[in-house]
Amino acid sequence: MKKTEQLTDSMFYIMAALTKPRHGYAIMNLIEETTQGIITIGPASMYTIIKKLLQQEWIYLHDGSDSRRKTYLLTEKGREVLEEEVKLRKMMIQLAETGLREG
Amino acid sequence: MKQKKYIMSGGLAFSEEKDMEKLRQFSLKGWHVSDFKFMGYTLQRGESSEYIYSVDYRSLEEDEKEEYFDFFSTSGWSHIASQGDIHLFRAHPGTKPIYSDRDTTVEKYENLNRSMKRLAIPFVLLTVLVWVGAMISTGTLNTILHVIAVILSVIAFPTAWTVIAIYNNKWKVKEKKGLVNLFKTIPFLLVLIAVFLLLFVDGSASAIHLLAYMTIGAVIFPTAIWVIMSLYHKM
Repeated sequence: MKKTEQLTDSMFYIMAALTKPRHGYAIMNLIEETTQGIITIGPASMYTIIKKLLQQEWIYLHDGSDSRRKTYLLTEKGREVLEEEVKLRKMMIQLAETGLREG
Repeated sequence: MKQKKYIMSGGLAFSEEKDMEKLRQFSLKGWHVSDFKFMGYTLQRGESSEYIYSVDYRSLEEDEKEEYFDFFSTSGWSHIASQGDIHLFRAHPGTKPIYSDRDTTVEKYENLNRSMKRLAIPFVLLTVLVWVGAMISTGTLNTILHVIAVILSVIAFPTAWTVIAIYNNKWKVKEKKGLVNLFKTIPFLLVLIAVFLLLFVDGSASAIHLLAYMTIGAVIFPTAIWVIMSLYHKM
């Protein structure tokens, strides 16, 4: 298996929201709505992670014309990383589900 | 009645949480922070209300500012003031914290330390070199180096201490209890070493004695200020 840096939960959520071009506020909202308010990303964490993902070239600046609401999108590399991560997380979910069923 | 007043900061590297709590308390009494001021904050009189405060450290390019502050305002945190790379925010109680996970909180202190270290490391190294020079030189050069060493130390001590304090903040987030406890004992250790040097090193090694006295001063003086300040705030 390809070895990539382990994604933190917050990084995973943000990347999951960036399969379509979105700006920061939209990402925060989407994550909050999807999890019915259980998971929220703080603005400072959000900004830190966006900068980090840009630096890793897992996302890129899709539209910077509105400097207040810049939109971002996954790069090819980012999509691969996200797919690998989904596979990994599915394995762990399976482990838990099977365990719970048998228990 | 006075509309503005000044309160001192405990130094963000040393007492970020306490500072934020102090600002909250002042807001309850109707004094709201409006700006940073030399080693503290300016407060402005207004309606008493409950606010919570947070600070973030980040170096921002001109074209990054709008987006950065927009992230905060859409999350319910209004920007109050910035001083260099330090940004102060206010929100209503119950607003979600600006950092929501541990990894990014650790990076918060790394951001702050990156700029501090760039200043501190060359400075501390230079100070050490001048002290060594003062110890091995003689005559006029010896006197000059002593004077320079003392002046440099006055700046190098607090700078180095600030960097260590920021590391301590990072260790607290990472729950490294051993290192946090070590941090607390550093002042005592320094004084012990200094006293030891004064007692057991020959009096002719004047540079070492001077350094020892300065170390004791560097620990005792801020401690005294701290004791007086905390008494003052209790009253």
